[in-house]
Amino acid sequence: MELIVLAIKDIFRRKGKSLYLLIAIVIPVAILSTILLTFDNADSSLSTLASKFGFTLIVQPKNIRVDKISQIGVNTQEYIPEGVIADVERIVRETIRNPKDKVITVVRFYQEDDLLIGKAKVSSVVAGIDFKTELEAKPSWKLTSGRWPENDQEAVLGGSYASSRKVSLQDTVTLGGSEFKVAGILQNYNSSEDYMVFAPFAVIQKLYNKSGFVSVINIQNVSLDKDKKMLQTAVAEINKNIPNIMALSPQQFSTMKYALLKKSLKFLMAIVVATIAVSIFSIFNIVTSVLYSRIKEIGLLKSVGASRSQLLTIFLSEYLSIGLMGGLIGYPLGLIMTYLLDSLLLKLGAGIKINILYVLVALLVGVFCSLIASFYPTYRLSKIKITDSFRSQWEG
Amino acid sequence: MDTSKGTPFLELKDVNKTFNLASGEVTALEHVSLSINKGELVALVGPSGSGKTTLLNIIGSLDRPTRGEVLLEGIRIDGLSEEDLVHFRREKFSFIFQDAKPLRMLNVLENTLLPFNFFKPKNRNGNIKDEGIEIIKSLGLGHRIYHMPSQLSGGEIQRVAIARALITHPAMILADEPTANLDRANRLFVIDTFRKLSKEKGIAIVISTHDLEIANRADRIIHLKDGVFLKDEVVACTPCAA
Repeated sequence: MELIVLAIKDIFRRKGKSLYLLIAIVIPVAILSTILLTFDNADSSLSTLASKFGFTLIVQPKNIRVDKISQIGVNTQEYIPEGVIADVERIVRETIRNPKDKVITVVRFYQEDDLLIGKAKVSSVVAGIDFKTELEAKPSWKLTSGRWPENDQEAVLGGSYASSRKVSLQDTVTLGGSEFKVAGILQNYNSSEDYMVFAPFAVIQKLYNKSGFVSVINIQNVSLDKDKKMLQTAVAEINKNIPNIMALSPQQFSTMKYALLKKSLKFLMAIVVATIAVSIFSIFNIVTSVLYSRIKEIGLLKSVGASRSQLLTIFLSEYLSIGLMGGLIGYPLGLIMTYLLDSLLLKLGAGIKINILYVLVALLVGVFCSLIASFYPTYRLSKIKITDSFRSQWEG
Repeated sequence: MDTSKGTPFLELKDVNKTFNLASGEVTALEHVSLSINKGELVALVGPSGSGKTTLLNIIGSLDRPTRGEVLLEGIRIDGLSEEDLVHFRREKFSFIFQDAKPLRMLNVLENTLLPFNFFKPKNRNGNIKDEGIEIIKSLGLGHRIYHMPSQLSGGEIQRVAIARALITHPAMILADEPTANLDRANRLFVIDTFRKLSKEKGIAIVISTHDLEIANRADRIIHLKDGVFLKDEVVACTPCAA
């Protein structure tokens, strides 16, 4: 029989203690996997969002505070004067120097408000948009049912919003005292738009007494798309010449958002490190107690010819196997937690995606916790003399 | 037993052993000299704390004397490194401890063959597993070969320990209180098995015991008291002859 087989048999004999060890490893691995996967999803969601928009350049108010960003990640409290739109377009045209190259400008007005659906008040993000220009910029935008609004009192709902609030076509929703008929339901794009209500731009501006202001200016232009240097020039020129705004390329946009996420990542990673430390401490205690209860067994193994290195092989194989199992269980648990976190809270539109690198990280963390915590007690007890092991008061 | 011819299998010369405890230095053995030949069954007898287990540990190279010499087949072994002693013990000795239960996750046969997880048997013809089964059967455990230790009685557990001790073909078996906690029938079975093994296979066997009925079935009884060698008595085992 191989030493490893002895180790595996022992794991199954000590099911209770092995289970405790396994739980002590699974918890930090699952938490770490959840954080890694969530940030991965957030990152890809931001990139997807930026690229899906098809916008070359985004202009938004300067210094948007994190606490002013809505739950679905858009700015609903800081605005840009409409006069800026012409300045932005002028700088873009001056940069591309090609009058034939089309520049599409898409502006949006965001407002967070309670929407009245029947008698229920629902906190919602309303986007005032010009449907014609939006569709020109994003021909891939599709409705799953209904049609695009044909008058000022019609609205379109994001797919997830409509399904979660059980709103159907032709239902009436009340916004800021005005009634809107649901004309269409937008297809889901795994973005914040899935959770928005879209209504005509000017109507929404007026409804919230913000005529002359916009939340974001999006520019679409093929030349800037192709020439990153030219794009950087346009961004720099806009930022230099127009006060109180911030121009970004979609890449910069996602980088900026990612920086916000990274701040949270540091905090969450501190939690992971603390969890790992607690886990190592727990494993150390369990392993020490298990090994002391096996002290006579250690004496027996030595008396039948086991060397110290063979004992270390047996015990460390046991803990290595449990560490690997912890990693293998912790990762799928992390996947499930990520999915639940996303479905219930973050709404990044993340599915269950297996990332081989993170599977390896999970296995490594499991093995690391297990071996680091078990090495010292194992090493110390492998040194015990046969005579001392049988003299010990601990029962095997 | 004639010990005058040639080199004894094992020899202790003026062995002393002291332990440094928190309460001070304790002398466990004092000026002990003895020799043991192959095929001898020796019983170490004495009250608790007389030094039986300490002497057994020194004979089996599990512990080192504070002073004195231990020679095996004329070679001094008390100064060998721990690593050398591991190899040495594998070849020469088998141990049976009062408290050493079989490994609970292995069946009787696997427990018997346990030593060969750690080293390869030398100069062996035939299948080790078959030999293990033969030994188990010879100890009356033929119906228990694939049973787990939790299914065995105390007497059967001690027989598994004997089987495990025999599988390596040791030159010497050292057994610390092997019959403690057993009923009379099992005690007699164990000592008679030892006697038979020493005679038939020429194995030197040293046991420690409180039990004079068991000791009287040995070839020699070594009496100890407070770590001092009192008497080395050759026994004529009347019930054995019967």
